[in-house]
Amino acid sequence: MRTVDLWLNLRAGVHPLAARSWLLAGCLTLAASVAVADERAPLTVRSTTTAEMRRIADRYCFECHGRGSEEGNLALDKLVDDSNRAKRHAAWLAVWKNLRAQSMPPADEPQPKDHERQALIQWIEREVFHLDPANPDPGRVTIRRLNRVEYEYTIHDLLGVDFDAEEAFPADDTGYGFDTIGDVLTISPLLVEKYLEAARAVVAKAVPPEGPGVPRRGVSIGGFRAGKKSKKNAYKVPFADAATLEQTVNIDVAGRYSVRFEVRAAGADEATSNTARVSTVVDHQPLKSQEIGWDNNNTIVLAGEAKLSRGRHALGIELTPLDPPQPGEDRLFLTVRKVELQGPLDGTLREYPSQFRRVFFDGPPPADAEGRREYAAKILRHFADRAFRRPIDDVTLERLVDLALPLDRTPQPTFEQGIADGLTAILVSPRFLLRAELQTQPDNPSKIVPLDELALASRLSYFLWSSLPDDQLFDLARHQRLRAQLAEQVDRMLDDPRSQRFVENFVGQWLQTRDVDGFSIDAKKVLGLPTRDASVRVFNSAVRRALRQETEMLFAHVLRSRASALDLLTADYTFLNEPLAKFYGIEGVDGDKMRQVNLAKDGHRGGILTQASVLLVTSNPTHTSPVKRGLFVLENLLGSPPPPPPANVPPLDVKSVRKGGRPLLRTLLEEHRRDPLCASCHSRMDPIGLAMEEYNALGLWREREFAKPIDTAGRLITGEKFADTRDLERVIATQRRGDFYRCLSEKMLTYAVGRGMEYYDAPTVDKLVASLERDGGRLRTLVHGIVDSAPFQKRRGDGSQQSTAPRSKPAPRAADAAAPKSSPTPVPRSR
Amino acid sequence: MTLDRQAARRKFLRGMGVCIALPALDWLAPRHAALAAGTGPKATTATGAPLRMAFCYIPNGVNVACWTPNGEGAKYELNRTMEPLADFRSDFQVITGLEQRNGFGGKDGAGDHARANATILTGARPRKTAGADIQLGVSVDQLAAQHVGDATRFPSLELSCDGVRKSGACDSGYSCAYQFNLSWRTPTSPMAPESNPRLVFERLFGAGSSGQRSEAFRQRQQQQRSILDFAADEAERLHRQLGRNDQHKLDEYLTGVRDIERRIERAERFGDVADPGVETPSGIPGNYRQHLRLMSDMLVLAFQTDSTRIATFLMAHDGSNRTFEDIGIRDGHHSLSHHMNDKAKLEKIAKIDAFYTGELAYFLGRLRNTKDRDGRTLLENSMIVYASGLSDGNRHQHNNLPVILAGHGGGLLHASRHLKLTQPTPMTNLYVSMLDALKVPVEQFGDSNGRLEI
Repeated sequence: MRTVDLWLNLRAGVHPLAARSWLLAGCLTLAASVAVADERAPLTVRSTTTAEMRRIADRYCFECHGRGSEEGNLALDKLVDDSNRAKRHAAWLAVWKNLRAQSMPPADEPQPKDHERQALIQWIEREVFHLDPANPDPGRVTIRRLNRVEYEYTIHDLLGVDFDAEEAFPADDTGYGFDTIGDVLTISPLLVEKYLEAARAVVAKAVPPEGPGVPRRGVSIGGFRAGKKSKKNAYKVPFADAATLEQTVNIDVAGRYSVRFEVRAAGADEATSNTARVSTVVDHQPLKSQEIGWDNNNTIVLAGEAKLSRGRHALGIELTPLDPPQPGEDRLFLTVRKVELQGPLDGTLREYPSQFRRVFFDGPPPADAEGRREYAAKILRHFADRAFRRPIDDVTLERLVDLALPLDRTPQPTFEQGIADGLTAILVSPRFLLRAELQTQPDNPSKIVPLDELALASRLSYFLWSSLPDDQLFDLARHQRLRAQLAEQVDRMLDDPRSQRFVENFVGQWLQTRDVDGFSIDAKKVLGLPTRDASVRVFNSAVRRALRQETEMLFAHVLRSRASALDLLTADYTFLNEPLAKFYGIEGVDGDKMRQVNLAKDGHRGGILTQASVLLVTSNPTHTSPVKRGLFVLENLLGSPPPPPPANVPPLDVKSVRKGGRPLLRTLLEEHRRDPLCASCHSRMDPIGLAMEEYNALGLWREREFAKPIDTAGRLITGEKFADTRDLERVIATQRRGDFYRCLSEKMLTYAVGRGMEYYDAPTVDKLVASLERDGGRLRTLVHGIVDSAPFQKRRGDGSQQSTAPRSKPAPRAADAAAPKSSPTPVPRSR
Repeated sequence: MTLDRQAARRKFLRGMGVCIALPALDWLAPRHAALAAGTGPKATTATGAPLRMAFCYIPNGVNVACWTPNGEGAKYELNRTMEPLADFRSDFQVITGLEQRNGFGGKDGAGDHARANATILTGARPRKTAGADIQLGVSVDQLAAQHVGDATRFPSLELSCDGVRKSGACDSGYSCAYQFNLSWRTPTSPMAPESNPRLVFERLFGAGSSGQRSEAFRQRQQQQRSILDFAADEAERLHRQLGRNDQHKLDEYLTGVRDIERRIERAERFGDVADPGVETPSGIPGNYRQHLRLMSDMLVLAFQTDSTRIATFLMAHDGSNRTFEDIGIRDGHHSLSHHMNDKAKLEKIAKIDAFYTGELAYFLGRLRNTKDRDGRTLLENSMIVYASGLSDGNRHQHNNLPVILAGHGGGLLHASRHLKLTQPTPMTNLYVSMLDALKVPVEQFGDSNGRLEI
């Protein structure tokens, strides 16, 4: 006996029970197929009365769940009559979910009409859940630590230091498909240890190892001129003509200075006898001179010392031609790479190198103890304000200053070492690592408060920049002016290059482009090529990189150009470079730079479902998987993942289809769907995945498989017919537009607030969908809508009906740890 | 073959008698073992050497026909998958008939890979949630670490070869946390594993070249004190301002801080960090076999230097769709595991299974070639569980699990036999008996209902 699964496995290689995700729990996306968006009745038109509700339920539900029947332990008629609805919340939640998912009534029973189903759902939302569209419940977001990506960007924006958190930290756990979910971003002891090490490593790059030194300044290379009219510049001085390029520099403190030029000869790949003499000049006096030829294609340093008075001085470089090139040889030119002045060398003036001035912004510390303490406080306050994303209180600051300038340590650390310790302490503080949002009565679930402006600024900046608020956001929030100009700020943030991080992180997880780089695929086998070399010519790392960028750039374009989110499905343009265009078989794109390219109307590309990134990550290593592709569309575009498969799938009699040799995948799947048990899920997934069979596991278009033409036509469970993948995209973008809007809204809201969707989010999501519908689906409208929504703007107190599970407490501290024991409350630290 | 609890207890105590009768050997016990908490030295063998415990996890079940040995008792025949272990026949036992009942779907439905991974060391049922309120149970290694962890610089070590997570949802509505972590410190706090061998090494022995490491290590720990004090104060002040769930995150953070504090204290008690005298490995190798071996090497080094006695090693997370270039298998492991009795697929699974047992052989070989302080080998003084949370991956079965118990536990354990349990027995019974060997006082763990005579 073979089961259905065998047949799926023959080609798809994936057991339906094991398909990666069947996200169902707590997911509102189930709502999707309730009604075609255009027909969805506005919520405000008319409220269903309890009598009506009972009448509809009587017709479709009570047969099994009423009039004495209690299948699945549910008597819906008694439930309706039970006035203590809060107590029966769990039962109602199950009813509501099943109605929205259309998993009840069962597929082989009469189905309520869309407006009837909608009426039942609305009645439950209003009468049982007491959802108030005018005043939605914001829910509660668990305090959230920075994930690896956010840590990197935050450190970069704070200190200008690059730190590879993806290498250094253990991988972040994800929930609801994203790595921004507070509840699963746990803090293991290992991670705390890593935070401490990371803080040290980062601070070591931001704080000078020694005290301030002799000031060093760069001189602009572009500033060197051969005279007012000459266009000659120091980047390219031909060996052919004598030339002097000069500029004036200002010296504030008289003394001896080191003058350092880095130059090199360029212009010829092969040996040439072309030479020249190059001299550096200060106030028209030669300082250092050297003959330069082809051999000197490495950097040459011309350094000397000169005594400079306070005031203006001419600094220059002089070139005198020597040997010309032999016939057939290339001509050389001189290029100046770097010019630096350091002084006065006697040490009367000291400062920090420029990369450290971000921290030591007022230069070296004063000599007196009082002054040093003040300066340390100033440095630490400035840094902590930004790192904590909230002004630091005086008590904490005092502690930090004490930590940086300890009185009791011998030997006394230097000022720089002390500041380094202070900064390290800030970077391991929970106020930096966690985004705490403080509120009054944090344990009162009925208390709903607007976020304070500083917390709002952080929510915004982590949503759109994956990093801390910049100075402008921080200052606005600090002065309570952020809410007043929220829309302008959101637009500014989206127009800022940092919003690329949102694109990469959101799209990277929503459409799974993050997985493209590491996705295991056997290109040789997929392409049916004899050697690895041959397959690498078709599919290589350049193509991989480009196809990931293609999807991200389309999203970024739609977001920035204020286009409709529907363009993600139906755009007649895409983003390509030469390697990717060649891969797709599109002509006329040259060079490695990705750019917007218009697509042929009757071509095989356009929209994300035709992009190789999506097609690739929904495949198996050697072949396509219609089930995975179908599931991808249901989960991420239509928001109607099928319910989980039943526990024991009965075997399918497939003798009939076996007749006549190897059956087509389509035939197998069709036979499979004849079983109503299987059909309940597979009639949703399979037709979608089969339409996408016209693209192989690498995303290349193909006309036939196993020499048989591919039949791409199908229909959605909701009845809409489509001819192929692009037609499917059109169907989603028109007839199922509402589902798409809803799904996208839920995904982005989940990403933005850091929690899964709950039943009480229904009014919020309804509102987002409505505004998209009004506005032609502009992606930017959605971002604004999310920022304005209750879950983003407000907090509810803890202790909700959801999370009342007892939580464990931390281990006792070292001194108490000799005999392990559990402790009912966190053990206070003794000093 | 669950033994009557009392009988098991008696038998175990008889075994204990051996070491109780040898007080004269106490002087052999290392200084720090004597400092360990409790009355008798925990996690030590009869000779006073450290007794270690490690768990290695393989994903997606096995080809059961090629795995299950023929015959039972001492005269059993190694099956094909265990051929790479032939040389170690006298160093391990095969146990069949163990199960993780909480792995089965029941009303939770699909998600067997998440449950296989989640249940294996906890014997607990994971709460089905994609994130909001993850809840499982304390894992056996962490329970042990809570009792014996104070004897070593690191209470436990968590390793994995999965450095990256897949985007999108994980298995069937379960948070990815269940599928990528073996160790759980509390029912809600997984212990994130480390996958980079270089970072494992530096964590154990300090950064820098051989010779400089101890100094670097010591220096760093001293400087950390004032910073840790500050961090803990901050956390406690913040704690008071937050709601319950938020406080839980702070508790996790505080636990981490205290863990480091404790380690500094231990470092001061134990003296210098051992310098293993080898070069720091460079990052994650591109080749999976090399990666597995480097991680095994790290585990051996950790045991050898007595940096820890408790470890878990997730060789790959359950549901892993990894391909195996080394043995010419280009299909994903997970896809193959749904073999539906297809001969070609079963053959490939058998090859993958043998690949993994080959890597176990490598690990056991390293342990056997390393001398412990009592003159025995590390393998003699260890208990290594090698297991999957599924038997037949095709049907997602959580019973009759493939389990090997290697090492001699300092002489406490049987070896060279096939223990064939006639009745389905909780895997956690095995764990309770292993905890007994470590002298961790526990009567019941997870879903255990007795002990196993091991």
